[in-house]
Amino acid sequence: MSDVTTAHTSWHDWLISNDPVSRRQARLGQLYRQWLAFRRNPAAMVGLAIVVLLLVVAALAPVISPHDPIAQALDKRLLPPSATYWFGTDSLGRDIFSRIVYGTRVTLVIVLLVVVTVGPIGLLIGCAAGYLGGWVDTVLMRITDVFLAFPRLVLALAFVAALGPGLENAVIAIAFTAWPPYARVARAETLVIRNADYIAAVRLQGASQWRIVMKHVVPMCLPSLIVRSTLDMAGIILTAAGLGFLGLGAQPPIPEWGAMISAGREQIFDQWWVATFPGIAICVVALGFNLLGDGLRDVMDAR
Amino acid sequence: MEQPLLELDNLRVDFHTPTGIVHAVRGLSFTLGRERLGIVGESGSGKSMTGRAILDLIPHPGVVTADRLRFRGQDLTTMDKGARRKLRGRHISMVMQDPKFSLNPVQTVGHQIAEAYRIHHKAGAREARERSLAMLEQVQIREPGRVYDLYPHEVSGGMGQRVMIAMMLIAEPEILIADEPTSALDVTVQLQILKILDDLVTQRGMGLIFISHDLHLVQSFCDRVIVMYGGKAMETLPAAELADEAARARRHPYTLGLLGCLPDLDHPRAELATLKRDPAWLA
Amino acid sequence: MSTKPAIAVDKLNVSFGDSHVVKDLSFAVASGESYGIVGESGSGKSTVLRVLSGLNRDWSGMIAIDGGVQPKARDKAFYRNVQMVFQDPYGSLHPKKTVDDTLAEPLAIHGIGDAEKRIGRAMAEVGLPASFRFRYPHQLSGGQRQRVAIARALVLEPSILLLDEPTSALDVSIQAEVLNLLQALRKERKLTYILVSHDLAVVAHMCERLLVMQFGRGVEEMTARTLAARNPQTAYAQQLLTASEGFRRG
Repeated sequence: MSDVTTAHTSWHDWLISNDPVSRRQARLGQLYRQWLAFRRNPAAMVGLAIVVLLLVVAALAPVISPHDPIAQALDKRLLPPSATYWFGTDSLGRDIFSRIVYGTRVTLVIVLLVVVTVGPIGLLIGCAAGYLGGWVDTVLMRITDVFLAFPRLVLALAFVAALGPGLENAVIAIAFTAWPPYARVARAETLVIRNADYIAAVRLQGASQWRIVMKHVVPMCLPSLIVRSTLDMAGIILTAAGLGFLGLGAQPPIPEWGAMISAGREQIFDQWWVATFPGIAICVVALGFNLLGDGLRDVMDAR
Repeated sequence: MEQPLLELDNLRVDFHTPTGIVHAVRGLSFTLGRERLGIVGESGSGKSMTGRAILDLIPHPGVVTADRLRFRGQDLTTMDKGARRKLRGRHISMVMQDPKFSLNPVQTVGHQIAEAYRIHHKAGAREARERSLAMLEQVQIREPGRVYDLYPHEVSGGMGQRVMIAMMLIAEPEILIADEPTSALDVTVQLQILKILDDLVTQRGMGLIFISHDLHLVQSFCDRVIVMYGGKAMETLPAAELADEAARARRHPYTLGLLGCLPDLDHPRAELATLKRDPAWLA
Repeated sequence: MSTKPAIAVDKLNVSFGDSHVVKDLSFAVASGESYGIVGESGSGKSTVLRVLSGLNRDWSGMIAIDGGVQPKARDKAFYRNVQMVFQDPYGSLHPKKTVDDTLAEPLAIHGIGDAEKRIGRAMAEVGLPASFRFRYPHQLSGGQRQRVAIARALVLEPSILLLDEPTSALDVSIQAEVLNLLQALRKERKLTYILVSHDLAVVAHMCERLLVMQFGRGVEEMTARTLAARNPQTAYAQQLLTASEGFRRG
């Protein structure tokens, strides 16, 4: 017992040390301190728990789900929640609980694909525009304005009309309209950062503009990017659900939560469980990302 | 013997942070009469915290305790928040360092002075305006009518500070706490502002607490000086003694250290003396 | 012995939009000299440094470093020769970079090897303990940050250092330490300094000659001795001197 506690305290001391002896110790120490501050925020911890739960469920889907999510059983249609079918069955006799569990994978794929493409692109465009100024700034910002003008769902409809419905096309459609705000915010932050003395100092060392933007400006914009991405995830989930609801996202039989709500809307009064459980899942996950994002903002981006 | 304006005994300001307690002020005691009292110290000495503690402006998680904290005999520690708030501005007022940050950028300066008056006195808009204009004249602003309608970003640093002084003195407080009032100003402007402050304080028989890091300035402006370090008072002495060579033997080593490390036009040296901090001073 | 001044400025004019911030300024600084520029806010003194350092490119006139006339955009060789220390210790270090990162950056930009040794040496020279090497700026005090800024300026081994109010944001006791450090470094490395300050006592202590500026113009150039003797020739310089003596009642 004492070995475990001493091991813990010595890790803690190593991370918390005010005199780190290596770059790694310094960076890990910083992250650890942020974690300690994050941990003090109960709402943020709830958000983290929900997101972790999402990841675990997605990873262990085959282990957790009691039934095959796409196996149809037409004699077991629209059964209410019971011991066998925890959340009941839908209009094709498929177990809703298993579909929700597998649906976490679909949700995660959409969210991660969008955020991973949109964040870096928006950041680079915004920082370059903000730092270089002049015609580069004008051109990049007008391009941003063009994309900002498109309403997400309308653009998605256009994509579907052009390319056909499907998960990948839904992701592309969402990504196309999600990046402009990141570019704008990164540009606004860069405009302030570029007047700082520490940027002047690095200019005075003869650094190229590219080096300054990538190594000095971008790291300062990262915390707010991470926070915004996390908060945005909730919105992306809702947009994907909306597309799914319209039949434009993942196609049957893929268990996408939005499509599941849509499929259940005819039966919403008599067989309420078909639409309600996917709806609750969307709410909980969106809430989880929001709480996590708020907690991250307090720790990383405090104003 | 007149009752002192302010009596402070064993003032403590502690901040209860998640990582431990920070003792910003530890056991400070002094009395203030109708005089200019300077509080001098470096950053972290607790001098600004002292000013804010008197006005009950210490934010959470700060806690203020004192054995005695009395304004003209009234006990401030047992007063409720509302009564304490009424004292602020009306009887004890504060001028801060940078008018850029202490004036509301979206209101004209005249409006802010008039508002300061109306918070404490029942007066109509016209009367408040008249009094504000009169106050602007008292702080040596030459065209009060024109300046009344200017916004804070349209006035210079020195004028902004004069507006602050007008705003803080219009309700005729008995005590003024000035926290680094001239540190953001050019040297020539500093002296003009100090003269205005000096005249007003003398005319009205006020007590002035002048908080600064500038030992030189405090020594030439104030009557008495408290030297603070690490939240404690190292010594309290008449201001004239700071410049007095003969009185050096009586000085606290910290005060001597501070005086010694200043570059001096009249006594050039190859190297400046540095302060050797003795941990015993913090005990 | 080289007669070319380390820094020569002739008829320098700088304008920001409508405001003419520096007007027809001319002065010269000899190699190894410490030259002060004194003035109040709006005098243009900091602008002069920014123009000299190449940060500001909107100027007209002539600037020569070691005899070579400088174009508006400077090259890497210039930056190995001329460096600057900024006023605000809380803004001049990148918040997300350790001391090690900050000192390694100029070496990496110029492709200078044996960074390990150079960084260790730079830290020792400015009196920073080796244990501070991987600290972040928020873990350092104002005086310590300024030492890092000085180390950063010196790691490229320049011959000219531009100092923009390097101690005005520091406590008096820390100021004394930093000024002593700057003096020692100048002697050791035979550096040329231009020190900009509003504090006459600091300038008199650190510099041999100084220029008083007001509203963008050079008002008077004098030696530190003239300043100490309180013997200036212009009324404005006398005004600054009187103001620096403190408050006078009556």
